Amino acid sequence: MTTGEIAASTEGENLPESLRETLPGHYYTDPGIFRAEQAAIFEAQWFCAAYGDDLARPGQFETVQIGRESVLVTRGRDGAVHAYLNVCRHRGARLCTQERGEVRRAFQCPYHAWTYSLDGKLVSAPNLTAMPDVDRARFGLHRVHVREWLGYVWLCLAEEPPSFEDTVIGDVTARLGTPDAIVGYQVADLKLGRRIEYDVKANWKQIVENFMECYHCATIHPELTEVLPEFADGLAAQYFVGHGAEFGEDVEGFTVDGSAGLEPIPGVSQDQDRRYYAITVRPQVFINLVPDHVIFHRMFPLSADRTLVRCDWLYLPEVVDSGADLDRSVELFHRVNQQDFDACERCQLAMDSRSYRDGGVLVPSEHHIGEFHDWVRQRTG
Amino acid sequence: MIFVGELSDLPPGESARVQGEVAIAVFNVDGELYAIDDTCTHQDASLSDGWLEGCAVECPLHAACFDLRTGRPSGPPAKKPVRTHEVLVQDGTVYVRESAPVGADAPVNEVV
Repeated sequence: MTTGEIAASTEGENLPESLRETLPGHYYTDPGIFRAEQAAIFEAQWFCAAYGDDLARPGQFETVQIGRESVLVTRGRDGAVHAYLNVCRHRGARLCTQERGEVRRAFQCPYHAWTYSLDGKLVSAPNLTAMPDVDRARFGLHRVHVREWLGYVWLCLAEEPPSFEDTVIGDVTARLGTPDAIVGYQVADLKLGRRIEYDVKANWKQIVENFMECYHCATIHPELTEVLPEFADGLAAQYFVGHGAEFGEDVEGFTVDGSAGLEPIPGVSQDQDRRYYAITVRPQVFINLVPDHVIFHRMFPLSADRTLVRCDWLYLPEVVDSGADLDRSVELFHRVNQQDFDACERCQLAMDSRSYRDGGVLVPSEHHIGEFHDWVRQRTG
Repeated sequence: MIFVGELSDLPPGESARVQGEVAIAVFNVDGELYAIDDTCTHQDASLSDGWLEGCAVECPLHAACFDLRTGRPSGPPAKKPVRTHEVLVQDGTVYVRESAPVGADAPVNEVV
């Protein structure tokens, strides 16, 4: 072999037993593949868009990017969450340009003042009474399917959404082994203690893959591995079904220095105590469960190489209301996030290298990531 | 007199739109009924689609506010008042008597 020659590509059939192939590099950079994922995944699956408490009052709204669409999410006077494509039915102007805000009564297009009630109906427009043949429901905003679960608002842009139970709840059940295992954490009754947003210069799949494995833990997560010593073996909680990684013997709580955490969530069972559970809800949610809090990540894929991650730390309401110091509790996973997203960005840099044209390899503790790759490929063709 | 409808179909906080010489909006404000011209004097919008704020209605398009008792706008963008009209309730049925001069005060009618 002359110097500079590139080694033979890691084609699937030539791989040793221990290794499996990854996706090829261009899956992480190709705008065409990203568009296919937008259409076949983000616009087709249930997408966790908003935190219910951020839409506490009627008229509070958020706009979120789901696939290729901007979606307007708000709470109606009836107390229910409604979501619409953020497009005026008249001439297509973007209805709301703010990321979040609150309207008193209605959404009004800034172009010709077509005005929609919180329940999406066209309530007024210039000269509308002179057009009695215009049906106000028919020319209301286009609705998006809504479910509220775990205190979050999940949307589906598909005309016929997949079963929420089979997909979203199914992913949680597949990881925890039973649909009841998450119930005791009372996630919907917890309160936001801290939110940190990460603007990650990496493809969304890098972030999912990273979250699914722990081969990297001992190398890049010293604090986490200190709290969860079994992570040094490289097997993520997600490698197993129903397995929670156990806290180290001297560890008092899930904090950056292993010191005591906050008041435990009363519904957490004996066998879940002093354990860490991690769940990926495809395509864009990660949930971590520990005895005193829940860490809830939402990913918003913005382009092939950029993903916004919104991470919420949720505690018992009385803990948040007491003004308890959450810093050591939040700091542990905030560091993990920074360490992970740095790693994802480092990989993203190389995705167009000819070295990675045919992809890389998965070691045995990462083989389950192959199921995620199959899931993506089945949907995008 | 213009027939509006049954009082039971016009509960507090609700409005109705009827056709006189021009369109007229009828409002029930906590049991008291008011009628004004339905079309905002700023731009063609139906005030019966607007929002009641005490004894005023806010136009749904550009938030011009009209006093239901006098028809006068509280400020821009509307400059001209709307007409007010007399509302009558007979045997549970609501009627409007369309008045003539713009800006004239119409009596407030108690629900009987």
